[in-house]
Amino acid sequence: MAAVIRPQEPNRTRFIWRDPQRGRFLVHRSAYANAAVFEEEKRRILRRSWVVLGHDCEIPNKGDFIVRPVLDRELIFNRDVEGRVHAFFNTCRHRGAAVCREPRGNHKRFVCPYHGWAYRSSGELVNQGATEGYDARFNEDGFYNLGSVPRLEQRAGFWFVSFDASVPKLDDYLEGAGPMLDEIAAHSAAGLRVVRGCHEYEIKANYKLICENSYDGYHLNITHASYVDYMRSMVSGLGKIDIRGCARSFGGGHACFEVRIPTGRPVAQWLPVWGEEARVQIEAKRAELEARLGPEKAERIANVNRNMVLFPNSIINDQQTILLRTVTPMAHNRMVIRAWSFGPADESPVLRRIRNECTLSFLGPGGFATPDDVEMLELCQRGFEAGDVEWNDFSKGYHAGERTLRDENPRFDNELQMRAYWSRWDELMSAPE
Amino acid sequence: MEESLLLRLRVEEFLYTEAALLDAWRLKEWLALFAAEGRYEVAPTGDAEAGTLDAAEALFLVADDHPRLEQRVIRLLKPSAHAEYPHSRTRHMYSNVRVLERDGAQLAASANFVTFRNKRGITATYMGEHRWQLLEEGRGFRILRKRCVLDLDALVPQGKVSLIL
Repeated sequence: MAAVIRPQEPNRTRFIWRDPQRGRFLVHRSAYANAAVFEEEKRRILRRSWVVLGHDCEIPNKGDFIVRPVLDRELIFNRDVEGRVHAFFNTCRHRGAAVCREPRGNHKRFVCPYHGWAYRSSGELVNQGATEGYDARFNEDGFYNLGSVPRLEQRAGFWFVSFDASVPKLDDYLEGAGPMLDEIAAHSAAGLRVVRGCHEYEIKANYKLICENSYDGYHLNITHASYVDYMRSMVSGLGKIDIRGCARSFGGGHACFEVRIPTGRPVAQWLPVWGEEARVQIEAKRAELEARLGPEKAERIANVNRNMVLFPNSIINDQQTILLRTVTPMAHNRMVIRAWSFGPADESPVLRRIRNECTLSFLGPGGFATPDDVEMLELCQRGFEAGDVEWNDFSKGYHAGERTLRDENPRFDNELQMRAYWSRWDELMSAPE
Repeated sequence: MEESLLLRLRVEEFLYTEAALLDAWRLKEWLALFAAEGRYEVAPTGDAEAGTLDAAEALFLVADDHPRLEQRVIRLLKPSAHAEYPHSRTRHMYSNVRVLERDGAQLAASANFVTFRNKRGITATYMGEHRWQLLEEGRGFRILRKRCVLDLDALVPQGKVSLIL
């Protein structure tokens, strides 16, 4: 007589439905398409996480500043005249007007255009633009200094902010992803330099869709078939592209995929189409990496492309260039992306030009790939709203033994990355408030 | 008629033809307007000096040399160029056309532009200035460079430059 198997109660929360017996991992579409869920995740997740603000090299000099939105706040990211880095809320302590109206520049002081309250680059109120009417002890306790974000910390030159004073230290929060940032910083002993110009664009879709898309290996050959055709035309002898790689989750919802793909890396992997001058320079760079970091690490920096999402909305891709993407969720169905390209500070003009060309041809809203990603995400969002279908599937490569939050999957085009993200997201959405 | 006016009319005629080919998605014929070393560029948004930047130094939205421009055209005519499949409807408007400089057979011309793009019920508007470097060839012209400088802080809400501006 066959044993009576009692169907196992599937492990199910409000948003996640795991059914390892059937190899299923599902996410409820209300996580993308419901305005009330978005309000809840702003409170439970976005405001309680670390979110990337920018890189040290974007404000190299004393007095440099950049005005930059982070989540629903507008921050002044600056280096004061002593060299210390700050992140201030761009609002006057008097009556609220923005104290800085230029997008970037170099200022020793920020002066409010409304009543003239003036602040040092370190945030201290210097004067109120009026000579009388205020007590001498008015700002003795610093009450009227510019407001700072509750937390500001850096790893490998990448500055992060949190709007919750009680979050763990950034290094602890990043878990296994921290060393990946260190590896990016090791591309050059001279540090990184940001390339002038920002790709800033809106996508009419939920912000988590760009996180998924950024490390989705599965879609590459389908969505980007026309880019693959382009690469074949540029790289002679590139037949069937042999992509080897893996996916890794680092803990905390952070994850990446890594691939070795012979499509060129301006840091240290040469393509014949780049020419002889570039070959000589890249060989010298490779030798420098080996001498400084040893052969194993140098080989990784030369050949491994890595797309990484730091939970919940910071994206750092190390491929044709080092691309930092910030994601600003505007509503449950709308986001704004800002992306900057970084390369070695001591990169030659030839390699800088090649870096820019490689970056443009794939990435960015005028490239051969990103517009098609934007199209796919908008089609997904429309699909969530157009149909009464409840679940999105993330089952590829799922198995009962998976330790989702911190694991490795031997295929880069499986979906461990997203399962790690969603598992962390679900933990936070399910925690008692 | 004054020679400079006639020249401007000839340039306008050429540019209006260029715009019409784009609106009709006759991209191979559009590409044929370019010289063999022709370039097409869209400068970064949100940069006050976008008109004078060099694509070797700064991150442009588009910086195509002729081989990449040809690939862009080939791509945009495939169904796998998803952002433009089915093709959006576009309307390229050029005005304030000026011939800025003439140096032998080379001309610099500029125009204000507005390009509308409609797809799936959403209309996006792109506006700014185009600058062309033209090579006079018989009675016609070839494009040595077309550079687009958008009057936009960001591609919000446009989202992308999947069309040719």
